[in-house]
Parts: sequence; structure tokens; C-alpha cells
Amino acid sequence: MRFNEKELVFLSRQPSEMAAELGMKGHKKGDVIKRRLVKLVVNFLFYFRTDEEEPMGALLLEQCRVDREDRQSFSITFLDEAERKYLFECDSEEQCREWMDSIIKASYEFMRKNLIFYRTEIHRLTGKDPLEQYGISDETRFQVSNGLQMTSGETSSL
Amino acid sequence: MKLNERSVAHYATCDSPPDKTGFLFKKGERNTAYHRRWFVLKGNMLFYFEERDSREPIGVIVLEGCTVELCESAEEFAFAIKFDCPKARVYKMAAETQAAMESWVKALSRASFDYMRLVVKELERQLEEIQEATGNGNVPGRPKLSRRNHMARSKSGVSSSSSSSSSSLSSTSAFGVPSVPSHSSAQKMSQDEVQLNSGSSKENGVTWSKPPALVNGALDGASSCAAWEGSADSGNNGVKRYAADGVRAPPVPPRRRGASLESPVSPGTGCFSKLHDWYGKEVEDLRVQWLQSQ
Repeated sequence: MRFNEKELVFLSRQPSEMAAELGMKGHKKGDVIKRRLVKLVVNFLFYFRTDEEEPMGALLLEQCRVDREDRQSFSITFLDEAERKYLFECDSEEQCREWMDSIIKASYEFMRKNLIFYRTEIHRLTGKDPLEQYGISDETRFQVSNGLQMTSGETSSL
Repeated sequence: MKLNERSVAHYATCDSPPDKTGFLFKKGERNTAYHRRWFVLKGNMLFYFEERDSREPIGVIVLEGCTVELCESAEEFAFAIKFDCPKARVYKMAAETQAAMESWVKALSRASFDYMRLVVKELERQLEEIQEATGNGNVPGRPKLSRRNHMARSKSGVSSSSSSSSSSLSSTSAFGVPSVPSHSSAQKMSQDEVQLNSGSSKENGVTWSKPPALVNGALDGASSCAAWEGSADSGNNGVKRYAADGVRAPPVPPRRRGASLESPVSPGTGCFSKLHDWYGKEVEDLRVQWLQSQ
């Protein structure tokens, strides 16, 4: 599958709140843990060889699951390949927790769910659609899931 | 650079609803003819397929950091996806109609993760403001209300017409009306008597349009608010909040406080983002429950 690699590499250079050297092990049988610079940018997890500027690889963090493996490690599994785990070893329990948390929240779909929740909750409490003032009420990406009805009035825009 | 391509392709075809789909012409890189492809926009990823019913995408354009512009082209309804990075490829596209072009340009220019994050943060902030207004209205609202009641009583003594209007308002409970009528202060008082959740709408600057049935919900909200102030480890389990139709509502995010990582519900707890971390996990489950019961 083709993808715009240059632009993705450029994205990996953007500032990130979460970047650290972690132990990382791929999903293949022979893989061993190697130190990598792991960097979270939007919904991508980039990993670099520690002395290199260009990333070795990127993981799109949609449709994935994050599990605690032991006190200091976690794994990422993609829903379409449940047997394949990417393992990450942190330096502390705290760091492990922070990374797991950040990765879970790094998906576009996670943000969308939160937005829908806030939107419906604000609408429930105030009777107003908070997106209306920005003129974006009708955007598909902000819609409540298919077929579900709102309870109060003024729901046509939702 | 490696990419988890199989999982990315899976994201394209899995059952999460796409943000936009349709046919577009895409100019090839080497073969500079325009090829008609089926496009699927999901989040910040623009996938393209050979045919509408193809199982796997031919490719994907990661849209983060792009700008979308109309462009000069021999093709009608043409636009371009551009990136800020050096030697970036310009993706030249063409739609089949003017309306389609405008719709795609709009959808693509708002497709970034950063944009979604901005909107979420803004709504999060708004909800927090509303919750804090509710919180402020609930607890200190009670002593205020008793002062008002006292005032209402003394006022109604002044003119008989206002006292009768206030009593009729209480019984008919015209709370469907969002705005507080300003012509009669006695009327306003009695509306406040029953709108226990927030005091007067004017006070908080928030319009409450809840029907009388919601008073129970509001009272529950009040008690749950008190529970938060009181106990550190009630978590969310002991606290019940009910929406208008008596359905259990998802937990209300507690107020912002200092920065620590204790029980998420205690006021001594964390900055909002830490609370939200915990809260965020609950959101999905509770939301599903709540929506299912609508």
C-alpha cells in the first residue's frame, strides 16, 4: 500500500510531548528488545534508532489495544492482528503508566468519541448545540453515531 | 520507513464510519493522467481504492499538516493537497461537480488531528464551565434561595396581583420557557424556588430549559456534588446522576484543582487532564450504556 513517506517523516520531526528512549520489541518471533527513541506525534508512534534522525518506522495508533505486560512494560496490539504484540519496556512504573495513557488517548477515534460525548452532554444541559456557533454542526466527523436519537428538542442539527 | 500497513489498511475498511467517501480523480505521479479512484476519508487519513468495492486500498495520504487549495488546472473542479515539508509531493485532485469539490475541500481541510483536538478541548472547557456553574448553583444556591423566598414573600405582600401570579407560576411550572421573564420580579422568584439546580438562569449566564421532571435529576446532581466534596474514595460508584428521563448519566468531570494523582473524584485531586485520564476510560462504557437506554 502506498503512503506519503516524505510527509510522514516530516511529521515525525514535529514537537511532541511524549518522546523517550524505551526498550522495544517487534512482533516477530526472533525479535529481541532494542533501545529505541520512541516518539508520539498525533496518532502515530514513531520509533528511531537512538542515533539516527530518520525514523525506522511508524505505527498508526487507530484500532489498537494497549495492555500492561508487567510493572514496567506495556504492549500495543492491533485489532486485526491480535497475536502480534509490540512490546515496550519503560524505566519505571510511572513512565509505563504515562505512556499507556498517552497512547490510548492518541487515536483520532478516541477524540471523536469524547467530542460526541461533550457535545451531547452540553446540549442536554443547555439545550444548545455547542458547535453551532462555529458553523460546524453538520460535519460528519462530529455526528452522534448512526440512528441514535437525542432526547431534547433542537436535535435536527445533530 | 516501515509502517504498520496491514493495520492501517484495516482501519480503512473496518466498520468505523468514514468521514467522507466518493469518487475523485487523482493525478498520477509518474503517469500524469488523472485516474478515477474511490476515496475514503477517515480521521486524518485519506485512503484511495481502485474501485468502490475493492477490498484493500491502493494507497493512503496522511493528511496531517496539509493545506488544501483550489488550483489552476485543465481539469474542472480541481484542487490540490499540499504539504509544508521540503520536496513534498503535491496531490492534484479533481472532483466531478462543483459541489463535490467544495465539500471535499472543506472536509479535507478540517481532517487534521490537531483540528479535532482543538474542538475537543474547547468543548471540554465549555462543559467544565457549565459543570462549575452547576456546582456553584447547587451548594451555595440553597442559602441564596432562602433569601429569595423571603424576599418573594415580602414582595408579594406589596401587591396582590404579583402574589397571585407567583403562585400560579409555581403550580403550572412553566419551566419549558428558557428565558426568565423580566416583567415581573415575583414570577422570577418563584421560578427560582423550583429551579434548584442552578439558581436563576440570569445569575449563571446559562439558560436552563429543563421541564419540571428534571428537578429530581437536579437534586440528585446536587447530592452527588456534595458527595464529591465530602468523600475522597467514593469513586464514581456511589454517585448516581440522572438525566431528564431518569436514565443514569455518565459521570460529571470534577473541577480543576492542584496537581496530584490521588482518587480522581476527590477535590484534592489532580489537574483536569489527570482527572480526564481516569474519566476518559469511563466515558466510553457509560456512554454506550446511556445511549443504549435512550
